Amino acid sequence: MSDETPTPAPPPGRAAWISEDWAATVVGLVLLVLILTGVVSKGVLQ
Amino acid sequence: MTTSSTDDVRPAPTPVNETDALAPEPDRPGAVSWPAVAAALAVVLALAYLTKYLDKNVPEWLADTSLARIAKSVEYPVYAIAIGLLGNLVLTATGVRDRLASAFRTEFFIKTGLVLLGVSINLSLLVTAAGPAIVQALLLISGVFLFAWWIGGRLGLDDRLRALLASAVSICGVSAAIAAAGAVRARREQLAYAASLVILFALPSIFLLPWLADVLGLGDAVAGAWIGGNIDTTAAVTAAGALAGEDALRIATIVKVTQNALIGVVAVALTAYFAYRVERRTDAARPRPVELWHRFPKFVLGFVAASIIGTVYANSVPAAENTATQAVAANFRTWFLILAFVSIGLEFRLTALREAGWRPIAVFASATVANILLALALAAVLFRGFTV
Repeated sequence: MSDETPTPAPPPGRAAWISEDWAATVVGLVLLVLILTGVVSKGVLQ
Repeated sequence: MTTSSTDDVRPAPTPVNETDALAPEPDRPGAVSWPAVAAALAVVLALAYLTKYLDKNVPEWLADTSLARIAKSVEYPVYAIAIGLLGNLVLTATGVRDRLASAFRTEFFIKTGLVLLGVSINLSLLVTAAGPAIVQALLLISGVFLFAWWIGGRLGLDDRLRALLASAVSICGVSAAIAAAGAVRARREQLAYAASLVILFALPSIFLLPWLADVLGLGDAVAGAWIGGNIDTTAAVTAAGALAGEDALRIATIVKVTQNALIGVVAVALTAYFAYRVERRTDAARPRPVELWHRFPKFVLGFVAASIIGTVYANSVPAAENTATQAVAANFRTWFLILAFVSIGLEFRLTALREAGWRPIAVFASATVANILLALALAAVLFRGFTV
């Protein structure tokens, strides 16, 4: 079935690999807090 | 689902995870060229702005023409991808695309957009008012995923591509494929291919499903559940639901959001399956449990956290204030999704499609047909007599 099941070599720069997921989480949640607290209002990015 | 014994002598593919998936191939190990990153970001933002501009103005420009209805139905993902592809052609022709590729951060953009999407999902609403949607989502995702996985195996697809296609067609398109890619370490070409197929099949579905629902005489609730369970991208579901009517749109949205919420469950299951079964080498030690954590797409935590925060917020402020705040969050989410779709167009590589061949298309098409039929049956049973 599988025609390619490669060795799970550690990806180069693993720290960076993990950090992008966290970056999206942090950026998303920080934006959310700014929106919910009214720091960012309706006029932004319309 | 077997593991090849020849994998020892094969080089590991480029993992499609986070930065790896998006870093430019030629200079990945080198230092970051900040002028190039700045220039690339400017390109992405300019194309995103153009997308927003067209999304806002094209319906007005074509309002009095025979294309008015189509123009109104076409949503920003269509413009974003088309503009991204055009930008791709221009940048490739001028020989600068690879130097700018560092800012084509499809995954970061879409994951941030999905975290923001979480705030619009009220957990209590899902539990109390969307029982049928949850049942349908569970049955539909399981059935369609397993069918796509099975037929992908019959046609000899790589396990990672099978996982991507099965996730994309059964859950919520590109975002599910990205979550699956993080879990199974798929190659960036595979993710690009899965994303291309999602877009390829989603666009006609926007128009086809509402039309079929009308032809079949489906009620609003059944039509909405059918649309929400079928079309892969949330934006396309919204477009199709709107064509089918306001009540159908409400149900379609609930069903789709329920499927979105299950991304994490599938990601964890795929992580476990690939860590313990697919990638397990005969000479390798059993993967440690911590590997599950390493492969778990962390943005799912942000998605769930945003959903909890949004639920608490909605229950603690007046409805009008919550609606206004949700609109701001939705606007930001749209911008991030536009950036993601533009980046998908910019990253698109025809060579990936050529190398993949016809089999993934056959798998995706077959799974889509299975999805249509199973979703129709489930919607007809679960939403019969349901009032919106």
